[in-house]
Amino acid sequence: MKSTPSLRSFCLALLLALAIPSARAEDTAPESTSKSLLRVNSTNQVYEFFQPWIKKPPFSRRGIGALIDGGRILVTAELVANSTFIELEKPATAEKSTATVERVDYDCNLAVLRPADPAFLQGMQPLALNGPLQVGEEATILQLEPNGEIAKTLGRITSISVASYPSESGALLLFKLGAPLQQRDGSFTLPVIRDDRLIGMVMRYDARNQSADIVPTAVIRHFLAELDSTTYQGFARLGIAFAPLRDPQLRRYIGLKEPGGVYVSDITPRGSADAAGIKKGDAILAVDELPLDQDGNYEDSDYGRILFSHLTNTIKHPGAVVRFKILRDGKTLEIPVNMQVANRDHAISEPHISDTAPKYVVLGGLVFIELSRPYLKEWGSKWTSTAPQRLVYYDAFQNELPPDRGRIIILSQVLPTPDTIGYEDLENIVVTKVNDRPVKSLADLSEAAKKPVDGFQKIEFEEDPKLLFLDAASIEANADTLKKHYALPALERL
Amino acid sequence: MLQSEAMSRFFLIAAALLLPLAALHAVEISKSLVRIEATSQEPNYKTPWSPGDVTSGVGAGFVVDGKRIMTNAHVVSNARFLTVSKEGDPTPYLAQVLHIAHDCDLALLSVENPDFFNGTAPLEFGGIPQIESVVSAYGYPVGGTRLSVTRGIVSRIDFQPYSHSGMDSHLAIQIDAAINPGNSGGPVMQNSKVVGVAFQGYSGDVAQNVGYMIPTPVIHRFLKDVEDGRYDHYVDLALTYRNLFNPASRRALGLEDETTGVQICSVYSSGASDGIVKPGDVILKIDGHTVSSDGTIPLEDEAVPLEEVVERKFKGDKVHLDILRDGKPMTLTVPLREPWPFKLQSNLYDERPRYFVAGGLVFQPVDQNFMEAHDPSDQRLNYLFDFFIADGLHATRPEIVVLSNILPDPVNAYADEFRYSVVDEVNGRRIKRIEDIAAAFEEKADYYVIKFAGGGRPIVLERKAIEEARSRISGRYALTAEKNLEK
Repeated sequence: MKSTPSLRSFCLALLLALAIPSARAEDTAPESTSKSLLRVNSTNQVYEFFQPWIKKPPFSRRGIGALIDGGRILVTAELVANSTFIELEKPATAEKSTATVERVDYDCNLAVLRPADPAFLQGMQPLALNGPLQVGEEATILQLEPNGEIAKTLGRITSISVASYPSESGALLLFKLGAPLQQRDGSFTLPVIRDDRLIGMVMRYDARNQSADIVPTAVIRHFLAELDSTTYQGFARLGIAFAPLRDPQLRRYIGLKEPGGVYVSDITPRGSADAAGIKKGDAILAVDELPLDQDGNYEDSDYGRILFSHLTNTIKHPGAVVRFKILRDGKTLEIPVNMQVANRDHAISEPHISDTAPKYVVLGGLVFIELSRPYLKEWGSKWTSTAPQRLVYYDAFQNELPPDRGRIIILSQVLPTPDTIGYEDLENIVVTKVNDRPVKSLADLSEAAKKPVDGFQKIEFEEDPKLLFLDAASIEANADTLKKHYALPALERL
Repeated sequence: MLQSEAMSRFFLIAAALLLPLAALHAVEISKSLVRIEATSQEPNYKTPWSPGDVTSGVGAGFVVDGKRIMTNAHVVSNARFLTVSKEGDPTPYLAQVLHIAHDCDLALLSVENPDFFNGTAPLEFGGIPQIESVVSAYGYPVGGTRLSVTRGIVSRIDFQPYSHSGMDSHLAIQIDAAINPGNSGGPVMQNSKVVGVAFQGYSGDVAQNVGYMIPTPVIHRFLKDVEDGRYDHYVDLALTYRNLFNPASRRALGLEDETTGVQICSVYSSGASDGIVKPGDVILKIDGHTVSSDGTIPLEDEAVPLEEVVERKFKGDKVHLDILRDGKPMTLTVPLREPWPFKLQSNLYDERPRYFVAGGLVFQPVDQNFMEAHDPSDQRLNYLFDFFIADGLHATRPEIVVLSNILPDPVNAYADEFRYSVVDEVNGRRIKRIEDIAAAFEEKADYYVIKFAGGGRPIVLERKAIEEARSRISGRYALTAEKNLEK
């Protein structure tokens, strides 16, 4: 699914590049760099969320990994998302080794791999990480020719900002590099260097604008530091949404005299900010004594004016305490916030699921699942308008649901059996109770189903039909037939 | 192209075959046939203060009892100027809408000059024609200006959505005679009696030879409803039901082996059945008619949806339901009334858009006309609109009021991102109707703080700034009035 846009981008890139003589931007790489690159071929297989007991056909993604210190190969997380088999290949000799994922973090779209045989890396040289770059500076994207030669494309940093990453779970520092990248096999992930040092990994390329999105070293360093700590925690989240405070009428109304500040417009329940007592309607004036402008930027020593979330999410590690200067009801407060990673236990709809099998319960032919964004995305690229609107609404506005709402359990479809006569048309309706017990997870549902009421499985819904019954003894007796008939490996996976 | 050629060839053959007979009838019926020219003005919900574009169209009608002309509601909706003329006498006469029923697409017109009816004979109504029997449709469809007659057979008799309102379904008869724009409102005849009023078909390539007419039960209901001088709208039980085929559900709800009925799913709050019928009840009989497991009842030798009983009733009438509740038999009586929340989602006519403007911010209540004009992609608004009835949202918010547009001016320079946001509060006042916005801004305050559904930052307007901007905005954007709260 995710690969389609980038593949298309590369096709466009090929067409565009054909018209432009691009040899000028390329030359042969020095020996040192070629000893640090490996082709990474990953075979990935994604679960079918409509029928969560099966996987979709496998597909392969090919990219280039960079060898870094500690015998690790750095790639993007998307390259190896849902991988079933990963193979490393030396560009010059085509010597191969299988590899495993040591750690993958979809929030920062990074992963490190290790070869099954450590000796495979003998004679190779790790790439060092470069320091921060400025807008306007040059960097080189590395690709590989079929014969193992390195092809280099020179580009220029066009923007440095905090922007959304593919997992949609949050925003981190992102470089944009303007470069006329050519279509070449195995370009899903590409290293970017300057002076033979790594400055980031290309994770997306927009051929129309000739612009590459790059995970920069600031994010890579954070990821590696977490890897080397005793427990990997990843990236902390403040858990707020904020709006600029540019409107002078609004500034006067809240009594804001200082020149900067942003307005807290939403709070994620149980997030770091919520736990520290930051509230909707607060104005954030400064973070760790660094004043914010009206858009929420502070003056960073490396990157200049940049959103303060770079400071709280990337520079700081989970567990760090960040001091927020807040204006509330005309008074200035200082609120220390203990930065923690997002607690997914209370998530109502998961924005991103990889490498884990989706849960399900099949009861007499009724298929129950938990609402998640990957499920909604099965409706295709226009899922926000084509997927069932109530579910889209729950996913989009989950912060506004009661904090103890729990997961949203859906009757996603009916596999018709003699027990489900009359229910065949039911799909995508939200379950409220099973056998008079509220269900806030599939585990709840599975438990509740063990205690039928008067011999019936009584299932209640938010929407029509509101209520239905199944014959508990009959579905028990028919369970094996149902499994065989629809080739279900199991009637539930929790 | 191919299709239309084939069709016209077919019609030539058919016309040749049937000409003598058709001509005979046409002479009789043409005395009662009326050509209607309507000039309408459709309000623009994007600029609700402007009176709207003027358009004109042609439709058909026919003379009925009491010097009245029957036609479709959609022929004369939003009419500003109406003329009628008789077949064979091109003199236009001024006409007026006497009654209009948008929910069943029928209207009655009166003519100022009684001379118009000289030489006309009111047409009589027949019953429901047999399937496969031949009918003739009269009207003024595209392809010429004079009377046109097309023939066909009755293909199907069923409940159909009536597209004029977009929300109502009633009995309709499908015929394979060509029904085209201009046929609307014309009589469909059998044995010299009106058996229907042509009103809709399929456009484009969806289907061929599918035309629909409003059958006489619907027409009679309309004529009876207006006997007291006003039209009261259809009534509704305002509930949903579902088949009861499943043996487990049947047993759990207390149904005996041979008994049939349907399960009540939702009972809409503020609807006729609210507080009387409960979700989980099983309807066994409606007004004594046994309800089958799929919700049909036998009525005049046909299996029709149980709603048909309600279809034939009027405001204030009662429906008797035999039900099972928790396995026990009960008898319920539901007094019928108009289901008001449904109107939000149906097309509205002959109404002026309501709005309120402050500081260049345009606020409007959301209804089907609004949604069609704006087609907003806002997820929250779409949810509130789509689930307004199903989720009982109208109970806390009788109207959804949104910031529908921003007339750019320095006073609202930072309001852009809020377009199509749903207004929750203005200066602490809950906004339940468009009138609440007007009332909130009429109260004197230094700041007007507009809060939207979902939290987020408020829009703050200073009174001083609103006042300074007033004449600037109304001049620049031809804003003739800052509000209209009347329908």
